[in-house]
Amino acid sequence: MIAVTDSIKQRIQYHRNRLPLLLLLGVLIPAAILGEPVKQGVIPETGLRYWEWQGHGALFRLTQRLPDQTRAFFLARGFAPDDADFLARNCVFQTLFKNIDSAAGATLTYNLDEWKVHALGTTREMLTRERWRGIWEARSLAQAARIAFEWSLLPTRQRYQPADYNWGMTTFGLEPGTRFDLDFFWERGGNLYSGRFEGVECPADLHLEAPV
Amino acid sequence: MIGMRAKPLLLALALLSSIISQQTAADEKASTLHPVADRPMAPDFALPDMDGTIHRLSEYRGQVVIVNFWATWCPPCREEMPSMQRAWEQLKDEDIVILAIDVGEDEDTIFTFTADYPVEFPLLLDLDSRVIQEWPVRGLPTTFVIDPQGRMVYRTIGTREWDDAALLDTLRDLHDR
Repeated sequence: MIAVTDSIKQRIQYHRNRLPLLLLLGVLIPAAILGEPVKQGVIPETGLRYWEWQGHGALFRLTQRLPDQTRAFFLARGFAPDDADFLARNCVFQTLFKNIDSAAGATLTYNLDEWKVHALGTTREMLTRERWRGIWEARSLAQAARIAFEWSLLPTRQRYQPADYNWGMTTFGLEPGTRFDLDFFWERGGNLYSGRFEGVECPADLHLEAPV
Repeated sequence: MIGMRAKPLLLALALLSSIISQQTAADEKASTLHPVADRPMAPDFALPDMDGTIHRLSEYRGQVVIVNFWATWCPPCREEMPSMQRAWEQLKDEDIVILAIDVGEDEDTIFTFTADYPVEFPLLLDLDSRVIQEWPVRGLPTTFVIDPQGRMVYRTIGTREWDDAALLDTLRDLHDR
């Protein structure tokens, strides 16, 4: 009996000694160490979905943009209605890419031309600024509208020092509602890293009508 | 010799300390300016402000100039405008100038923007994006610090807290060199 009591006391003491560490790890492990680098969720205020990667010095987030948001944005920047509609139906996301490495001199680079979009049984490239130029040329988009468009997109290639980042739109050339996987790559400190978002959903083309 | 009982606590403290120092480092980055290699001369420009007054960069020689490329639709650009205004209030009498170049938008759009984000420093219009294309900029916001000799000495991509005390000292130091 005495032996059992001592054993229990030892166990209590053992766990008591580790309590601060266990408490700390209980909070941190799921978020930072063992947790998946990919998070996805819904923005409560808008109902729009997002996909986020955080790891190896990079924070990368795709957030859906409703086609109507994109139409309104570019109509206000000199797009003809047909051009705004054409763009809005090409699977547009609001995008953030950030160097979150705090080490001095830890530069990070990416090139959207190297990223791969897997959808509908094929692999394709993203629609970058450079690819859109040919499309707008063929559609005779006004010069002012082209300027607004180009600077609204995430840069095709970028080099970030610590804490540097850009916001911008990314386009994937897919119909509203299409699902795709995205393989993305970046370089940091001479090493190439990659990540994957699975089941990313191009926002549906919903037209919300005001109540009568 | 550290006792067995103390080890877990020390481990926990070490982890916590590491997290706090990382957070501190992240906070510091909000005020970090990255040096531009070889300090090339900044391309000159002549752009109108909202009143039609032409601002030529070369006419600011002898002063430190912060050149910010931005647009009203760009969330981080909007985010850093208030701290730029606070920095301007502290620096305007010290020969340190802020020129914020809007890319591709007209006066009406910027005027509407300034109702929500009132700023006193010059907002310049690069309507046809000719100026931004001559500068090493790929995305917005991008900001350069130009020294009194007209050279690009610092660059940032994304927002900074422009009224951060350490950042302001870095700007003032350019005058003292």
